[in-house]
Amino acid sequence: MSKANEHLDKLMQELRRGTITIGVLSQLSEPQYGYSLVTELSEKGIHVEPGTLYPLLRRLEKQGLLDSKWDTNESRPRKYYLLSETGKEVFDLLVVEWRSIVQSLNLVIENKGDEKVGDD
Amino acid sequence: MINRYIYAVTQKLPQAQREDIAEELRGLIEDMLEARVQGRKVTDKDVEAVLVALGNPKHLAQKYRGTKKYLIGPELFDAYILVLKIVLISIAVSMGVGFVIQIILNPISILDHFIDFIVSFVTVIPMAFGWTTFGFAIGEYSKGIHSKDLQMDKEWKVSDLAPIPDKKRQIKRGESITGIIFYVLFIVIFAFSSEYFGIWVFHEEFSGVVPFLNEETYGSYLFFIILIFGFGIIKECLKLIFGKWTMKLVIYTSIVNLVSMIAILFMVNGPAFWNPDFMLELTQAGFLTEGSEAFRTVSGVWEQSTSWILILLVFGLIWDAADGFLKVRKK
Repeated sequence: MSKANEHLDKLMQELRRGTITIGVLSQLSEPQYGYSLVTELSEKGIHVEPGTLYPLLRRLEKQGLLDSKWDTNESRPRKYYLLSETGKEVFDLLVVEWRSIVQSLNLVIENKGDEKVGDD
Repeated sequence: MINRYIYAVTQKLPQAQREDIAEELRGLIEDMLEARVQGRKVTDKDVEAVLVALGNPKHLAQKYRGTKKYLIGPELFDAYILVLKIVLISIAVSMGVGFVIQIILNPISILDHFIDFIVSFVTVIPMAFGWTTFGFAIGEYSKGIHSKDLQMDKEWKVSDLAPIPDKKRQIKRGESITGIIFYVLFIVIFAFSSEYFGIWVFHEEFSGVVPFLNEETYGSYLFFIILIFGFGIIKECLKLIFGKWTMKLVIYTSIVNLVSMIAILFMVNGPAFWNPDFMLELTQAGFLTEGSEAFRTVSGVWEQSTSWILILLVFGLIWDAADGFLKVRKK
């Protein structure tokens, strides 16, 4: 059983890597700072380590999908991130792709399930 | 504690990003602390728990950098392994042959030879390994700078596919690699133990060599000798790169052959290349007696050796080019 768990861990890591990006982009049509994103995503059931999220935000900014701005008006300075024009476009396209993946995978998984039930 | 953590992360990052990331990290840690204590006073334990949750600063810095974590990338790896194999095998073979020659010549001090052999093995092999890796790492690094430009025009067409090489035109890798190993071996022998290049004299045990070459002028010819074998290595490398006989390869190898032939011509015809006292020394060593039939034969061969070598060379080089040409034409 522990071996299965090991495999599961590795596969889940691979699986999450892409979905976290979609999750992050989905929340940034309003400006957010890093930690507010962590709590917001975890409230919605997407668990992201801050140590993963912060570098990701930077990478997305470097690629031009996000814009950022320091807000120094509050008690402590915070860096706010927001979708750029490109980012919005990319996110919309990603959602379409995601839906089609979910649909196809559901189909595949359910077909396989039917077969198994028949065999047993 | 927080400062130390932030320092540990940012000192591993490029200067330009340090301040920004430090500030962002500090904000994050404060936010995390706030969420944890919910208005109560912050204790050292809280700080510790938050930093542990953030994880090893090394890993965090790595995620921020997001750069490649390898010395030699997958694109160069095959070539790297190939070159490394050639280099290591060449060195091992050269040293092994040197060891055997030393034992033949002087079997009494075999233990000393063996110790020398082990010592040079331990020092030379890692050095060769290191230099090869170093060269490729530089290649990888400089390629990394241009990788974006290179990938821009990588439009791939089916017509780009190389045809499956004809068995007859194919050049076997093993042959080229063996060739390179032999050239290296010759360079090593000529560079370090030219005094053994001649006729070996044994009276009960090894007692000397009657050299073919003029030892006094040899030093000035060594450059040409290394050059000629170096051209041989270039030729084998070209064969490795092409992998099959093409018109281009035949032309390239012919040019390389021609250059090395000119170098040999220049060398062999040069003044005092051969040992001027060869016949005398042979007689002294007791091989021949002056005036005998054998003496006249050997003397004749020796005097005409230059022209014979040249004829053989020209023949060999023409054969090499013609062989390649025929292989290209074969359907």
